[in-house]
Amino acid sequence: MSPDLSPEIVEEVARAGVTLVASLPDGWIADLIGRFDADARFRHVPVNREESAIGLCSGAFMAGTSALALMGASGFLTCVYALTKINYTYQIPLPILITLRGDVGDKAKYHVSNGLYLRPIIAAMAMPFVEVQSRTDLPAIGRAIRHSRTIARPVVIGLPRHVLKGAD
Amino acid sequence: MAMSMEAAFQALIDARRDEIVILSAGNASEMWWGLTQDRDSVFYLEASMSLAPMFGAGIAMAVPQRDVWVLNGDGALVMNPGTLMVERQMDLPNLKHLVVSNRAYGSTFDASLPNAAHNDYPAMARALGVQRAAQFETVQDLVGGLEMLRAPGHGLFVLEVEALGRKIPAPPIDGPEMKFRFGRWMERACGVRIFG
Repeated sequence: MSPDLSPEIVEEVARAGVTLVASLPDGWIADLIGRFDADARFRHVPVNREESAIGLCSGAFMAGTSALALMGASGFLTCVYALTKINYTYQIPLPILITLRGDVGDKAKYHVSNGLYLRPIIAAMAMPFVEVQSRTDLPAIGRAIRHSRTIARPVVIGLPRHVLKGAD
Repeated sequence: MAMSMEAAFQALIDARRDEIVILSAGNASEMWWGLTQDRDSVFYLEASMSLAPMFGAGIAMAVPQRDVWVLNGDGALVMNPGTLMVERQMDLPNLKHLVVSNRAYGSTFDASLPNAAHNDYPAMARALGVQRAAQFETVQDLVGGLEMLRAPGHGLFVLEVEALGRKIPAPPIDGPEMKFRFGRWMERACGVRIFG
């Protein structure tokens, strides 16, 4: 079984200057959320629904705080309105870490729709998207966070099951 | 009983000191713009429904020395009342959530709001542990309640206003202009670094 990369993901996010993390859980990121919550370098805010994370992190940007939203793929799909309205209208950067539910390796039948539609929807929003498939991809997290600031738009970082839970 | 929205907003504008003001979409943004023409020290979150309190919380976290007034329509609150739980949990002493309660979706020609006659917003807030929750039905009530509004501590304050019954102009400010004008004002007024 390959190791869970959650501790290294947290380090990458910290190195990129993020100090606020807003999250809503997905089974794959429960451990990752716990690590952010326990790490004094971050203020972690659990939210009631994913789009609240979009609002909170966007407001934080307008006061100079670098923030990250963390959520599952299903939750991300509920955020299309908030992202296109707030972050596209006002050009507010926001890195979003999501799970790649429904991808190869996900045995949950109720996530099949994510596997079918997640990437096409991200593409339809012309939203930059990077995947972390292994330890060697981890520096892409910091690059994506910085890229979000450069383009003043959201950037999505996708995490598959084997990166978060270890391979079967 | 309810006061006119214009009178309620004018009372807040007259009372405002150095508070940061965040306005939700529709009537709240339009009324504040109409009365102040302010392009800098307020953020008109016109391109969003229901997220103004979270947006304001993100700002309030970073500038504890300033109160943040979030004027949020009751239509917006009905769309996402769970934000009250997040607000309570964050417990930011400088975050003041003002609900502009006209008992209608004001920006869409006063369309019907679910359960409008029965929604008790202060009771909802108290049930979630928000201790400082009040409702103002007249301008005199509102002016009298300013001390409570200004006292340190997160709170929810409901302004019971009459439905506007007419369309008023939206702030003529594009999104990026809003970001930069407000952001530059935040940098000057609050000493934060946003754009570098």
